[in-house]
Amino acid sequence: MEQQQETVPDWKTDFPYSTVETLQVTRRQFAKFLCLVSGGLAAGSALVAIKSAFFPEKEVTGEHFVCNRTALPVGGTRSFTIAGSTIPYILIHLENGEFKAYEQKCTHLSCAVFYQAGTNKIMCPCHNGWFDAATGEAIQGPPPRPLPSLQVIVKGDEIYVTGHPKNS
Amino acid sequence: MSNFRSAQDKAHPNKSSTLMLAIITLLILIVALQIWLLYTGLNNALTQHADVALIACIVSVLLFVAAVGLLYFLPGKRR
Repeated sequence: MEQQQETVPDWKTDFPYSTVETLQVTRRQFAKFLCLVSGGLAAGSALVAIKSAFFPEKEVTGEHFVCNRTALPVGGTRSFTIAGSTIPYILIHLENGEFKAYEQKCTHLSCAVFYQAGTNKIMCPCHNGWFDAATGEAIQGPPPRPLPSLQVIVKGDEIYVTGHPKNS
Repeated sequence: MSNFRSAQDKAHPNKSSTLMLAIITLLILIVALQIWLLYTGLNNALTQHADVALIACIVSVLLFVAAVGLLYFLPGKRR
């Protein structure tokens, strides 16, 4: 009897624990953990809703000069940024003569996108994502959203961009 | 006086086990729905559709309340 008491350290007597309880997760614990995950997801959704409702992204205001019309041949592109912002944009001169301006960040993981001349498509080389160059809609691959666009205004030989009107 | 909890404690372990599995299945379903709601809300918020993000948030919170409510029905510890 004395020998047995000697083999059990004092701390185990003070803080008894079951090895099974420490090594295995019970179904009760798993259910509670799922509930915790559920709470985390609800909090995440709430953060997204609050951010979009009270702290929306700033709209592009005013007209910003990009380049001269003659500097951008048909099928050509030009990267630019707007003063006061670091977001990269791309201006595209489509084969049908139209000018389009989009954010140069893929909506999947923000890789830089490029216009494929002659195909009317914008491609993201990172994960083979494709967008329609005429509308910015995602047409293939992992991008979940269309490319954010700017309105292009051509004044004589000069090309300007501006934000879209709120109700468009 | 007998109540829900005492009756549950006296139930056959097979019944308690089935109830536990049912609750865990429902909780997994709720979490899966919430992941989808978060993904949808985020995508819509990024395309300036705050209303969809708000609805997704409300539904997600309601699902969380349902998940907490389900914990009430968890069978007690085996004695």
